[in-house]
Amino acid sequence: MTEISRRPHSERKDPHWVEWAVGIVSALLILTVMAWVGFEAITEEDQSPSFRTTIIGKNAIGSGVRVEFEIDNLSTRTAAAVVVRGEVRDGNTVVELAEATIDYVPAQSKSSGAIIFSTDPGEKAVWVRAVGYSDP
Amino acid sequence: MSKSMQRGRSKAQEPRTFLVGLGRGAAGALLFGIPMLMTMELWELGFYMERHRLFLLLLANVPLLIFLADRVGFERTTTLMQACRDANIAYGLGVLMSAGILILFGDIKIGMPFSEIVGKIALQAVPASIGALLGRSQLGGSSDDQGDERSDVSNNGDAAARGDDEDAVPDKLSTSYAQELMLMAVGALFLSLNVAPTEEIVLISFKMTPWHALATMIISIGIMHAFVYVVAFKGTHEMPAGTPWWHAFFRFTLPGYVVSMSISFFVLWTFGRLDAVASTQALMFVIVLSFPGSIGAAAARLIL
Repeated sequence: MTEISRRPHSERKDPHWVEWAVGIVSALLILTVMAWVGFEAITEEDQSPSFRTTIIGKNAIGSGVRVEFEIDNLSTRTAAAVVVRGEVRDGNTVVELAEATIDYVPAQSKSSGAIIFSTDPGEKAVWVRAVGYSDP
Repeated sequence: MSKSMQRGRSKAQEPRTFLVGLGRGAAGALLFGIPMLMTMELWELGFYMERHRLFLLLLANVPLLIFLADRVGFERTTTLMQACRDANIAYGLGVLMSAGILILFGDIKIGMPFSEIVGKIALQAVPASIGALLGRSQLGGSSDDQGDERSDVSNNGDAAARGDDEDAVPDKLSTSYAQELMLMAVGALFLSLNVAPTEEIVLISFKMTPWHALATMIISIGIMHAFVYVVAFKGTHEMPAGTPWWHAFFRFTLPGYVVSMSISFFVLWTFGRLDAVASTQALMFVIVLSFPGSIGAAAARLIL
């Protein structure tokens, strides 16, 4: 005698209607997800990552001034190890330069970080932009 | 062997049985918890994850533990009160084992911020406590009593009945539908917790195209179904003769996959992996994590 035959089966021959209802709802949910992903698969264009950076805050900390930024990836491709460079400019000369590396900026998503300048930019212009990335 | 004799014996052996149960629980916590205790990302999550999400995870673990204590547990439970007590002990064991191992690894040191220490231990205690309860079913599978029952094949019905009130892992699992789904949730949570904190989940989904994701979904569902119904493992669920295969597919496999996706979503959200991520990307993460999750869910139906 096998072990299987000693164990009662959990599946009944006359299942409750709730089981069918759950089954049908699950099937619908899964089909929806598949349709969504399938739609993405068909319509997706192979774009290269493109970024938009916005400064969302500036505040003085012990070792200087922290400039917080957000970086949007507008494309359908994820970028990894995105290097964001911040510059304090006085006219055309760069007064100070600092960098931050963001691990991932997923497709059509946002990541955030901060750059710390040792001197207060004050009225000078602050530029923050992505200067490089790698493909994940 | 009469029932009264067994009761008498078990009463006399109670302290020893309980200690053995505790030992198995601790061993289970160790066995199932070690992969996570040695994962760097989980240590880090311990101090940076949002406290309200950690709190929610800790709360969500309680009903799961009570359910597990009732179903498998490290000793026999007959009432809800006993199941609660065992779940409590398992959680405690989980905390103790996590704290012990993290101290051993030098991951917790004197002088660290209190919140960091508590966060690390609390996070690790979740898988460890599940492991403590699973330890009983995996390590104590053939205690003396059960050995008797196993050899006692001719006395079928009786063995099953005794299994119900003598040993922690009954031969007979009265699997009602809700319990079956709950079992799958536990299995999915357990395997998801193992891999969700790692960077690989995110990285894999970035490497995948939507076509890969579609294939992953189909394969996950296929594996789930095959695990339970095609490959004859211990405790395989057999359909009554003459029932078409798609009955079980609709009633168990597809809901199981939805359960596994929901658990994946919850775990990823808990670890803050879904923050500020576009919905399609988030869905890809969930699909990737559901792959191990669905295997865990299917395995739980077989193993537990």
